[in-house]
Amino acid sequence: MAYNGGPMTEAMYYVLLALMHPSHGYQLMHAITEVSNGRLKMGPGTLYGVLSRMQKDGLISLAEDDGRRKTYQITSEGEQALRTEYSRLKSLIQDGSILEVGDKNE
Amino acid sequence: MNKKVRKLRPSDYWRIGEHESWFQDMAAKGLHLKKMGMYFAHFVKGKPQKMRYRIDVSLKKKMTPEQIEMYADSGWDYVTGYQRFHVFSSPVELEVPELHTDPAEQSFTLKELDKKLVFNAGMVAVAIILMIGMLSAIWFLDGTPTFVLVEGMAIQQTIITIFIGYLAYISLQAAISIRALRKDLTAGKPIDHHAPWKRHYQLNSMIALVFTIVVGSSAILPFAQLVKGETKTLPESSLDLPIVRLADIEQNLALVRGESSYMRDGVDWDNRYTYNWSPLAPIQYESDENGVVPGKMWGDGSGEYSPSIYTRVYQLSIPAMADNLIADLIKRYRYEYSDDDFVESKHSDLDLLIVHDEDDFKEVFASKGKAVIYVRYYGYADINSVIENILDKIKLITE
Repeated sequence: MAYNGGPMTEAMYYVLLALMHPSHGYQLMHAITEVSNGRLKMGPGTLYGVLSRMQKDGLISLAEDDGRRKTYQITSEGEQALRTEYSRLKSLIQDGSILEVGDKNE
Repeated sequence: MNKKVRKLRPSDYWRIGEHESWFQDMAAKGLHLKKMGMYFAHFVKGKPQKMRYRIDVSLKKKMTPEQIEMYADSGWDYVTGYQRFHVFSSPVELEVPELHTDPAEQSFTLKELDKKLVFNAGMVAVAIILMIGMLSAIWFLDGTPTFVLVEGMAIQQTIITIFIGYLAYISLQAAISIRALRKDLTAGKPIDHHAPWKRHYQLNSMIALVFTIVVGSSAILPFAQLVKGETKTLPESSLDLPIVRLADIEQNLALVRGESSYMRDGVDWDNRYTYNWSPLAPIQYESDENGVVPGKMWGDGSGEYSPSIYTRVYQLSIPAMADNLIADLIKRYRYEYSDDDFVESKHSDLDLLIVHDEDDFKEVFASKGKAVIYVRYYGYADINSVIENILDKIKLITE
């Protein structure tokens, strides 16, 4: 399913986030754990699936391929999609701020 | 060398969770998966070990080395694969993270398989419709199903069609199940890696056994018929066979054998008998005999009197089929005559007797016990002479 600009899956969002610095397979998995502050431990199957799909959709590209190890990087299209998603998520948080106000009033 | 063990797969290849659970149970018994085929899996005997097995479906037929390496880095070793289904394992004690941590993402990996299975199911469905069409033509086009069955012509095609029908059912089931699995995954429901596999195991082994036997023996059938069947020239002397002879009907010492119009492989096809075999009629004879009475003319002056006889003889495995077989034989050899020309007659020594009498052309259909005889006779002898001769011969194969 090609990415249509709608809400991203959590896996997509974090892979893009981690790929702000070019990275490869195993290293990338750690980068995701790191960037999610240990909250997300992505399995290799899920990661591989997300990578091949986003590469097909042009959100990421190969930075280096020495035959054995492929290094991925985010494309400008991918970065734009990520920033759009980020601002969407931010407005989601902002909209939810009424909950925090409610908490303070208690 | 460690001992290899081959086992029938417990269920259809696309039941992912059941296979994972089966491999895990086998490893716990010391049987470690080595290779996977369409119906069998190979194991190597070793120490019992608690293992986790996961099946990953690849988008393309082969897994990329990159993917295999990525999995290995995370503690999942590639074991084997069959078509798009690839098996990875990891010892339980390593407690490595799951291969797939996001069911929704995993559902994407099934997309290509899903498409392929739907396509397959469509193809097999078309194939089965065509086969059923051809088969019903053999069976019902001239409306003589009993004849077809007794002759044993369509048994193999029928069995193969049933077999293909079963395959069609399986491929439809595969397409539906993978579609359902995708939906479950998309909805966030992961695959059950401990799905009980014993439920399908017995059923699957039974079906495999039955199909092997039935399809195997049906493959032999046409060869058996080829080997057993034979055609020979009818000797002029009498034979110890249940075939009605021209000389016995004509009762004319002047009768001689007509000149052969068709010789092949040393057989005179105008004066021949053919033996055949089929499961439902283990003894079958078909014979042709042509004679001439020199000097005697046909009544209409069309030439020398040349009587001929054609016989079909069956000894049935199931005597109850006799009536239907006769009905089918009439239908098959009726030509331009109508059903009313075939008259049922009574005879104390026969179960069924049907005659068709047109002065110089006579047909008799008779059955007794397991035996069915059909005689078509051109000549001036009386129909009772034909019936008497049938009575004489049918005795040989009634039991």
